Amino acid sequence: MSRRGAPWAAVVSPVLLLLVWEWASASGVLREALFPRPTTVAATLARLVADGTLASHTLTTLGRIAWAFATAGVLGIAVGLAMGVWRRFSQGVDPVFAVIYPIPSVLFLPLVGFLVPAGEVAVVATTAVTSFFLVAYTTAHGVRQMDRLVMDAAVHFGARGWRLFAGVLLPGALPFVFTGLRLGLGYALIVVIAVEIVGATTGLGAFLWLSWQVLKVDDMYATFVVIAALGAVLSYGLAALRARLLPWIQDVAQ
Amino acid sequence: MSARPAKVIVHEVSVAFDSHGRRLAALDRISLTVAAGEFLCIVGPSGSGKSTLLRVLAGLQRQDAGEVRIEAGRPGAPLTAMVFQEHALLPWRSVLDNVAFGLENRGVPRAEREARAREMLALVGLTPFARHYPHQLSGGMKQRVGIARALANDPEVLLMDEPLASLDAQTRLLMQEELLRIWASLGKTVIYVTHSLEEALLLGDRVVLLTARPGRVSQIFPVDLGRPRGLEIRASQEYGALLEKVWSQLREEVVRVMWEARGADAP
Repeated sequence: MSRRGAPWAAVVSPVLLLLVWEWASASGVLREALFPRPTTVAATLARLVADGTLASHTLTTLGRIAWAFATAGVLGIAVGLAMGVWRRFSQGVDPVFAVIYPIPSVLFLPLVGFLVPAGEVAVVATTAVTSFFLVAYTTAHGVRQMDRLVMDAAVHFGARGWRLFAGVLLPGALPFVFTGLRLGLGYALIVVIAVEIVGATTGLGAFLWLSWQVLKVDDMYATFVVIAALGAVLSYGLAALRARLLPWIQDVAQ
Repeated sequence: MSARPAKVIVHEVSVAFDSHGRRLAALDRISLTVAAGEFLCIVGPSGSGKSTLLRVLAGLQRQDAGEVRIEAGRPGAPLTAMVFQEHALLPWRSVLDNVAFGLENRGVPRAEREARAREMLALVGLTPFARHYPHQLSGGMKQRVGIARALANDPEVLLMDEPLASLDAQTRLLMQEELLRIWASLGKTVIYVTHSLEEALLLGDRVVLLTARPGRVSQIFPVDLGRPRGLEIRASQEYGALLEKVWSQLREEVVRVMWEARGADAP
């Protein structure tokens, strides 16, 4: 046995859980109509992947996440930089942000629907709201936490204007920007599923809800699995991108 | 030394800061003259404004009164370059790009500034680490990058703000010898702030002692210990006598500050 962190330890608990679940559903401890066996879910997943149903919904959802994340990222970084650099701007927008930010994003769907064409644009815009705040706040914090001495040194060695902004302030804030982007991407996935449940007929959220309403529980569980996998892939993908783009950052446990 | 022309003239410089609604004097009518090629050390109790004086010379802090003049010998060369206390390197730049940073901001072409940066890295013994990032270096190595960065700018005057304060004792001794070697090979005018009297006597041509807040020039001690110097001078009698002399003066200042902090008059 290795002294620290055996790799198989992380596998034991999920495998055990699946085995217990399998046994419970098969033996009638759990009602199989509501808790189908993992093997049944796996078979359903394979069928839905094979006939293209899941692929089409997944692509729809991914497209919405991409648009929402891009919008939230670009606007969030721009507004966050402005908040970090100009104290007055930050003080000005803070009360408004503080009121809007904690509202569950999905509630914005009808409101956004009044402003932009209902449908696809409204779904994307609603998905972007919470991510925008997360990116903006962490970016602003990233600018504010810049080491005073590093800024002094940069100015002392002749960095001014654009060079100071793009060459010092921006890279200095980047580690925090990436943290904001990672949080924002996670929230985009959560919110897009919720929005699809209430306001769309396509996408993983819509398919999941439809499956539940017509009691095709196997389909619902299969969709769960896809959503979970999507979350993991997006999160690790962004972390890998960060490691690639920001090699100067010490490896800190996430 | 008196034969050498003046490089830096500090005339009646005063600086005050706002602190909790009151003006607190940090420097009070400081006057100093530094000769070209001189290694001048500044010591003083905490709060004597040593770093403030360097920041004024570096152009990072405006004085409220008085005048600073630095003789510009060569056109295009910056007047000062500072080695900061906590190295203050840009974490996202490689060692080489950090050293070339000032030249880059002045518009020096890439090939030229990199050649110059490599030269300076060789001088501080960091050639194999040109492509490393600061976080991959030890404290002593980072500080050497800070020195190379300042030297690469080829300033008229090199300012050093307790550059070795954060290093462990052994590394500090090695770096002191290194500094002496670099200074001897370049002949720069250096203004060096330190907490350590031993360091000041080892490195300096003269030692300026500042008083506690507000900082005034208390006394200036010439260090007649000959050159080149090494750590072995610490065994000499002259060194011991001078150290005792500077310390007794500094001690008075430190004790005064302690009593003032307790709200009483010194006995």
